Amino acid sequence: MLKRKRKDLGGIPTASMSDVAFLLLVFFLSTTKFDVKKGLGLVLPPASANADKKVKLNDDNITKVWINAEGEITIIFGDNEETITMSELEAKIKQIITENPDMVISLKTDRKSKYKNMVHALDKLQAAGAEKISLSTN
Amino acid sequence: MAKIKKAKKPETTIPTASMSDIAFLLLLFFMVSTVFVKEKGLNVTMPQADEIQKIPRDQSATIYVDRNGNISIDDLIVSIPDVKWVMQKKLIENFNVISCFRTDENTNYGIMSDILNQLREAETLRVSFEAKLKR
Repeated sequence: MLKRKRKDLGGIPTASMSDVAFLLLVFFLSTTKFDVKKGLGLVLPPASANADKKVKLNDDNITKVWINAEGEITIIFGDNEETITMSELEAKIKQIITENPDMVISLKTDRKSKYKNMVHALDKLQAAGAEKISLSTN
Repeated sequence: MAKIKKAKKPETTIPTASMSDIAFLLLLFFMVSTVFVKEKGLNVTMPQADEIQKIPRDQSATIYVDRNGNISIDDLIVSIPDVKWVMQKKLIENFNVISCFRTDENTNYGIMSDILNQLREAETLRVSFEAKLKR
């Protein structure tokens, strides 16, 4: 008796299907970039017209940090006035705050100064642990 | 003599046919759950800082300021006096709104100071200066 020839079944190979899918998955996983917002937080004082009470600060409790148009920093506390660099700012402020925890740091930036100078200084102030920070300009 | 058939050993294979289903399911899940940021904003280079904290996205309103002094809120170019009412509207929508500044590092601080004054008048007092982590 002759054996009947089996008909070849036509099929799509599915074995590599998972490879394709995983490849796509890995591609999307590695190329997706999440836009996480990160920044230096600060709470502004209310506008002076709405402020019911103005707190008068003792001059001894204010340290002024001035940044001029060229990005140079002058620090004024009490009768002392000195020009320092950005890298010295953190240590200086840390020292002042340890001596007087009620110290308010007033960061005054020139209108023509670059924004990054102010952000770098604010970063240093927060790194030094200053909690009472006020921003102003001339 | 009778032939004794040997019992066939059961084949042990892991079925891989449903593997692709799993992979596609994962792929679809990530594709569906990914939300793209709609805001175009302005082209800015943010400054770098160390002491940065995460800002909750659902509470933040982004203010773009580029180096030429253009201000963009919700993809709308606004002038400095308009910042007040735009932010007041944001405050009504969300009482805890945090204004996030995406300002170019080379922008003059004067503009920023004017915007900050507008924010104070709008009573949106929580601000955050967005920065990249210093490396």
